[in-house]
Amino acid sequence: MEKQGDGLRMNDQRPPVYVVDDDQDIRTSLSRGLGQRGFDVECFASAAEFLDAYDGEQAACLILDYGMPEMNGLELQALLTRRDLPLAVIFITGHGGVPESVQAMKGGAVDFLEKPFRQSVLVERIEAAFDIARAHQSARGLRNDIHARIGRLTAREKEIVDHILAHPAEASSKDIANSLGISPRTIDHHRARILEKLQVRSVVELVDLVGKLKQSEPGRT
Amino acid sequence: MRNSLGALLAIGLAGLQFIAVLAVVFSSFLTSERALLDHARELLSDVGTNTIEHSRGFLGPARGAAELSARLAQDRVIASDVPELLEQLLFQQLLLAPQFAGVYHGDEDGGFVYVMRSDGPGPFRTKIIRTDGELRTTELIWRDENYRVIERRWDPDDTYDPRTRPWYTRARDRLTTIWTDPYIFFSSQQPGITLASPVLDGPDAIRGIVGVDIEISDISDFLARLRIGATGRAMIIHENGDVIAHPNKDFLKTRDADGTLRFVNIAEFEDPIARAAFSGLMQGGRAQVEGETLSQFTYDGETYVSVVMPPISDKLPWTIAAYALESDFTQVIKENRLVNIWIAAVVAAVTGVFGLLLANFIYKPVRAFAVRSALISQGELDPGDPLPKTYQELENANQTLMQQIAARRETEMEYGRTFALSSRGMAQIDPESERFLRVNRKFCRITGYSASELEGMTFSDVAHPEDRRALIVARDTDGSTREIARDIRCVRRNGSVIWASVNAIQILNQEGKPLHLVLTMDDITQAKLSEDQIAELNKDLSNLSRDHTMGQVAAGLAHELNQPLTAITQNADSALYAVDQMAGADPDLRVMLEEIAEQSMRAGEIIKALRSFIRRDEGIRSDFDLPELVTQTTRLVVAEARAADVKISADLGALPQVNANRIQIAQVLVNLLRNAIEAVAEAGGDSRSIVVTARVEGEQVHVAVTDTGPGVDPDISLFTDFETTKASGLGLGLSICRSILASNGGRLWHEPVVEGGARFVFTIDVATSGLSS
Repeated sequence: MEKQGDGLRMNDQRPPVYVVDDDQDIRTSLSRGLGQRGFDVECFASAAEFLDAYDGEQAACLILDYGMPEMNGLELQALLTRRDLPLAVIFITGHGGVPESVQAMKGGAVDFLEKPFRQSVLVERIEAAFDIARAHQSARGLRNDIHARIGRLTAREKEIVDHILAHPAEASSKDIANSLGISPRTIDHHRARILEKLQVRSVVELVDLVGKLKQSEPGRT
Repeated sequence: MRNSLGALLAIGLAGLQFIAVLAVVFSSFLTSERALLDHARELLSDVGTNTIEHSRGFLGPARGAAELSARLAQDRVIASDVPELLEQLLFQQLLLAPQFAGVYHGDEDGGFVYVMRSDGPGPFRTKIIRTDGELRTTELIWRDENYRVIERRWDPDDTYDPRTRPWYTRARDRLTTIWTDPYIFFSSQQPGITLASPVLDGPDAIRGIVGVDIEISDISDFLARLRIGATGRAMIIHENGDVIAHPNKDFLKTRDADGTLRFVNIAEFEDPIARAAFSGLMQGGRAQVEGETLSQFTYDGETYVSVVMPPISDKLPWTIAAYALESDFTQVIKENRLVNIWIAAVVAAVTGVFGLLLANFIYKPVRAFAVRSALISQGELDPGDPLPKTYQELENANQTLMQQIAARRETEMEYGRTFALSSRGMAQIDPESERFLRVNRKFCRITGYSASELEGMTFSDVAHPEDRRALIVARDTDGSTREIARDIRCVRRNGSVIWASVNAIQILNQEGKPLHLVLTMDDITQAKLSEDQIAELNKDLSNLSRDHTMGQVAAGLAHELNQPLTAITQNADSALYAVDQMAGADPDLRVMLEEIAEQSMRAGEIIKALRSFIRRDEGIRSDFDLPELVTQTTRLVVAEARAADVKISADLGALPQVNANRIQIAQVLVNLLRNAIEAVAEAGGDSRSIVVTARVEGEQVHVAVTDTGPGVDPDISLFTDFETTKASGLGLGLSICRSILASNGGRLWHEPVVEGGARFVFTIDVATSGLSS
């Protein structure tokens, strides 16, 4: 592993750019050029090397060579998607082909650049990639947060939430009490706890929260 | 070979008549003979039956008379011992039956009364023997029919004793009526038979015997009267073989050595035919006849038929035998037959002639029709001419024929017109001599000969010496090669060699024999030349594109080249960035770095083009936006354009999406733009521009690249000159561009520009989606 930066680290302004390419000259030139432009660049010679180093939390742009020995770009992309990692991928390839590019774009790539390419084009793509990666990360954060809040609910509370979500029109304490066979007072008590745990002020916000979660679920496009 | 209707009719009508007559004659020939033979046998059988009946009728009354007399005597109605009364009774009996020779009565005492027919002095004679102990007298009395005595005489010498006679002894022994065997009567010397009936005196004794002599020569007369053919004979043979009745009575008797008369036995009978026919009946001294027997025998070379009847009765063991000459019956037929044959021959001849006349009459209109058809087919008669009197069927056939002829003439005319005016050279060739039968104008134009010159020439005279064998194959009549299509060289009248695409079809008649060859010919000299060049190109191309290994190497190479190119681009860009950041940097440095980056990109484009060219076969055609492609490609050559001080502009307007291999089209555009830039640069004129224009033409978009260069030298064959004089460029000339476009369904050509300069136009298919809108 070689590093042109100071290793993986948090950067509040700009996310890092990771380059995965088996060609040393490519890595060097990209690292130099992008570094010059102020990007935080880190290069890896193979997919495995990158996976070892990446912490899975950092939103980043991944410049990925399409044709590599062992795990190729597409396979790595698929793996990242499965793991719900906050990475935006820009493919670069010396082979170039319509079928490959189509597959890469379907897999959520920001772009598919055929080698050689001008740096200006790449820079432009990287900026776009950052936005995507950030959005991805914040969606993932929100999702995790909501999951964490929901995780704090007791089994009975979850049951009440499920009922509210399934029948939003019958969300009054009386309705819920009737359907679950417990007293409205107890329901009132539970609801207050639920709103507190989920950090929402009303049942309307609760429904909205869960809706956001569902929207940002990975794999949904 | 088909049969002539006339011959069929003649043979049919005359032949059938003849066969019919023959059949009738032949059948009657056979059946009549058989019928007659059957008739002969029946006749013989009838003769036998008749003879039997006649014999019975002849002998029957004797029995009645004898038995009546005996019964009268027995019952003493007539006193048998009174000779005068007895004589009267016997006389009455004798009168009744003319066949009776004599009737008599003898008694136990030796008395005898005998009345018989006599020759004189009276017609009847009575002999009366009276006995009284030892004394006996014999009186002879002659009477007339009225029983009047004519003469009376005594015969003292008479020694006759009835009791010793065979008829007496046998009747006495048997005590019943008996018949004697036939014998020759002593008195009349005629053959006869005696019937004796006893006059009984108690159960075992007799008083006397009444006898009747019957002369049976009357039966012979009867037989003589029977007609059995011309030479047939019937006879009666006694069971002991004696012939007792025969048409020739003289044959019956013979005299023994002691002077007594007796019957002649069949074995020694004087009628040789009878002997031959019937002596075989005798077996063990007795005639053996089982039943009515019809048979056939041959005597002296003649065929006879014979019949033998069974014995009439136990008491009359007589066999009736008859024979007849077969030819007596069949002769008439045989004679008749000859006449019949003659009649049949005449009838057959007459009907045959009539049949021929009839056949001729029936056939005549058909023949006339056939002659007329032949004349029409030779063109000597117009099909519209009125038809001679003929049959309904032929009229219909004529109608059809006329329509066919009209249709055929029309077809021939059309064919002739097609032949004459065809844009291809056409010739009819005789398959035997190979001579031209007919040629059209175009054929003359191709070969350079006139039609009259070609007449009498063969195709070999026109074909190039090395290609002469090509057509000979078409003459092959084994059926395997009746059609040839090949390109051969021909020598024109002026000696120039041309390439011709020759098509020869053998036209066969219905029997499969060759009528002529129809040959069509096109001058393909021009096409052949460019075809040769294209073949050459294709060879090169296939070396490029078809070789898999090379394709792989190229693909690998492209990738390998792209890596350093990417590094170069990145570094150049980095350097540019650095220069931009730097104050007071040399502006040339920036340009140089930009050039480095652009040239790397161009190298990348070339590699891309090369790779996609190598993979052209699998190249994917897609719908894309042409203006966008033009913009991108223009960008590729912008550096060169700038260097050459050439302005590139595009005037494309609104275009539908097009369908082609995008990269290949880009490659073509790059090529054309680069050529244009070079041309303009070379010209060095004031107007230095290149315009890319496009317009929709039907289902295609025509893209034109027009420059203001010097234009194309007309002497240069743009597309066939593979080797380009240019040092730079993709190294893939216009011919490759044209080939690329062809694989995309497009074309590329050059158009001269009036104001000077060159214009290259190529076509791309409009996308299907673009077509519908």
